[in-house]
Amino acid sequence: MLKIKDLHTHIEQFHILQGVNLEVPEGSVTVVLGRNGAGKTTTIRSVMGFYPNVKGDILFQDQSILQQPPYTIAKHGIGYVPEDQDIFAGLTVEENMRVAMRKEDDKTRERQEWLLDLFPDLKLAWKRKGGHLSGGQKQMLSIARALVNDTPLLLVDEPSKGLAPIMVEKVMEAMNVIRETTTILLVEQNFIMASQLGDYFYMIDDGQTVFEGEMKLLQEDEGLRKKYLGIA
Amino acid sequence: MNIKKMYSKSEAVAGGGTSGAGTETPKGNRAGTSKPMKNPFQSMTWQKAAWIISLLILFAVPILVSKNSTLFMLTNIFIWAVFAMSYNLLLGYTGIISFGHAMFFGIGAYCFALMARHIPQGELGFLFAFGLTVVICFLLSLVVGLLSLRLRDTFYALITLAVATIFVIIAEQWRTMTMGNDGFNFTAMLSRDLFGFIDLLDRQHVYYIALIFLVSMFVVLKRFIDSPVGRTLQAIRDNEDRVSSLGFAVLNYKLISNIIAGVMAGLAGVVYAISIRFVSPDSVLGVENTIDVLLMTVIGGVGTMLGPIIGAGVVEVSSHYLMGLSHIHPIFERWVILFGIVFILIILFFPAGIVGTINQKLRGKKKEGAS
Amino acid sequence: MELHLTLVFNGLATGMLIFLLAAGLSLIFGLMSVLNFAHGALFMFGAYMGTWVYILIGGWDSNLGNLNFFIGMAAAAGIGIVLGYLVERFTVRQVYGNHLRQILITTGVMLVVGELVKVFWGPNVIRVVQPEFLTGYFAVGDVRLTYYRVFIIIFSTVILALLLFMLKKSKLGIVVRAGVENSEMIQALGINVRKVFTLVFIFGTMLACIGGFMWGPYQGQVNPAMGLDLMLIAFIVVAIGGLGSVAGSAIAAVLVGLSEAYMAYYFPPGSLAVNMLIMAAVLLIRPTGLFGATR
Repeated sequence: MLKIKDLHTHIEQFHILQGVNLEVPEGSVTVVLGRNGAGKTTTIRSVMGFYPNVKGDILFQDQSILQQPPYTIAKHGIGYVPEDQDIFAGLTVEENMRVAMRKEDDKTRERQEWLLDLFPDLKLAWKRKGGHLSGGQKQMLSIARALVNDTPLLLVDEPSKGLAPIMVEKVMEAMNVIRETTTILLVEQNFIMASQLGDYFYMIDDGQTVFEGEMKLLQEDEGLRKKYLGIA
Repeated sequence: MNIKKMYSKSEAVAGGGTSGAGTETPKGNRAGTSKPMKNPFQSMTWQKAAWIISLLILFAVPILVSKNSTLFMLTNIFIWAVFAMSYNLLLGYTGIISFGHAMFFGIGAYCFALMARHIPQGELGFLFAFGLTVVICFLLSLVVGLLSLRLRDTFYALITLAVATIFVIIAEQWRTMTMGNDGFNFTAMLSRDLFGFIDLLDRQHVYYIALIFLVSMFVVLKRFIDSPVGRTLQAIRDNEDRVSSLGFAVLNYKLISNIIAGVMAGLAGVVYAISIRFVSPDSVLGVENTIDVLLMTVIGGVGTMLGPIIGAGVVEVSSHYLMGLSHIHPIFERWVILFGIVFILIILFFPAGIVGTINQKLRGKKKEGAS
Repeated sequence: MELHLTLVFNGLATGMLIFLLAAGLSLIFGLMSVLNFAHGALFMFGAYMGTWVYILIGGWDSNLGNLNFFIGMAAAAGIGIVLGYLVERFTVRQVYGNHLRQILITTGVMLVVGELVKVFWGPNVIRVVQPEFLTGYFAVGDVRLTYYRVFIIIFSTVILALLLFMLKKSKLGIVVRAGVENSEMIQALGINVRKVFTLVFIFGTMLACIGGFMWGPYQGQVNPAMGLDLMLIAFIVVAIGGLGSVAGSAIAAVLVGLSEAYMAYYFPPGSLAVNMLIMAAVLLIRPTGLFGATR
């Protein structure tokens, strides 16, 4: 569904990504792992088209989306859940959802209903301002907002970051439901979450993909985890 | 995404593209006139020779040219060049844009003019005008800087504009002191034998004052920009967050630059008053003056040492001749339109200005030759 | 007492007129973080254009009655739309994301547009009279309420209400509010934020041009210095009210209008200084302005 070929990203004068290769097969959950500053977020943001200086190629459903503006990329059906959720603080939950809706038709409304069933917390906070939500609610809203349109591929950047363990569980449960209909590319530092959700993983280090394989492989190989993630 | 950067891209090119990734120390040697990178021995001598020759020519001008109007024009170019250099310190080397820079210029001019009008002119009054200008400009730039530099960058433009407008209003309203909008002439009060050898009514003498003033200010500014403080300033301009995360007190550096620029503009104002022997809110204090100096800096080349000087020359000379054409067609009275369009085009297509663009071309050729 | 009522009434009228100038500036600043230095010149161009049409048509045919006033207003709005589009498309759009170059380029536009006014209509003051149906006043007690001021207050209040309603309820309004907060995320949701920018820029310029046109009969004249003078006031209003906040601009504009009215009565030269002090005080306490989002 998504193929990244030899991706090089420059931000200002810095050469951040120096050859990222990865493939997200349809229907899978693919996890990007790596230390802080390895280039995980930059990879996702490069896919979304946020950086002007990108080389290599990014294919979505076999079409190159490189150098396209972010809004076109989003319209192809790629949902984006950023690291800090980027909820519009001055808008209510309802308005946050409405901003995201590209069409206000029955199908979209159906999807919204489905998402609200998935995240009942959002229904309760429906008229509340985004800025007044808890961290968990923000994360849910951010995911719901990305999925309210027809979204074959979802990019999620560290959904567990800064959340209470109970919230991490809730988010994980929801992701388990979402994966049935949506392909997911997940950046995650929380190895438990990554290993439970992921089918396949890519390891990024110093802006390059250095290792890849079935998630099982990483669960079994402690040495590998230590080497690239610094965890046992 | 850092949006605070402005001319850094063009600058990096002008400086030979040396601001490499991960360099922690701020880089110097960015100025347009800086020492060349390649084959230092040969180019150094050439450059030195070029400098000395142009200086000699400038010093010889009053001997070769007897027309007072030409001398007068050159004198004013020198003074505006210093004013523009001080503005360039803000815009080009610190990355902040002021719409009130003319207040310092105007304060300097008014200090001298009022001194000349109210105190019997002599060496003491003359020096006192300079001293007073330095003190006022120092305090004013300190206060304005403290007020506005800690806010987001766009507010600096806004607050300087507002403060400068207040000074214009003061000059307009305080009629007993400043003669209001009409301004006043003080030719009769100027000393003919200052320190026993300077005749302020002699165009040649004023020409030399302005030239020496320009040269000394150029040297001072060059020293400052190549100093550790100056380099840190440029690093702040290129990436404020990075410098501040390295533990530099960014605000203090910007304040220093703000103060130096303010005092320098004030001194330029004093010399300007000596040259034009007349002050009014429009001619020295108004926002139009800041816009003129902005035009000069951008057209000449932001962030280059020579840019403001070239810019001052281009703007002064061409506005003079365009005004002269107004008897052919009244559109030439509106020469500002032409400058506005040129200005927009430069910002869009040649953000490095005349000097910066030439520098880029030269560097490009050198690189080709080397490889 | 009558004095204060009169001053408050005058201040309200001035303030609401300033609001028309500042609203667009605030939205443009808030959404695109463009400090538009051309705003004053654009608004002055609208004032001249509208006034020119207003006087021209008034001279043609007196049977038109008061229609010429509204035709003048439409002309101002029309030129605002055209200029707003041209300026955004050919200058501002080229330098998004770079504050300094934005300020510089809009300064260039200010020079060109400001001089164009002088080319078309000359450098001198042009007298403007109020339309017949708005001349005169009615008295409430001892307070004289001039019709033109009443008209300004009602007209601007209607615009304010419409604006607030649109921002609150319409999809475009919600997008604009979201874009003021975070224009990158808006793009990631599939919205071409540039188009929204263009629309807002056009809309803000149009409002300013209408406000500029109404300013003429209010002051009895238009002149080539009005652009810069009023732009400074509009900037102060935006800074006090908070970037991107329409309600904040309205309140700040009335505040500034009131201080103008009082200072005009007690000590005219000090009016800008007082507004400056208000701005400085607000910015020192709350750098985001009274109603700006704290980010």
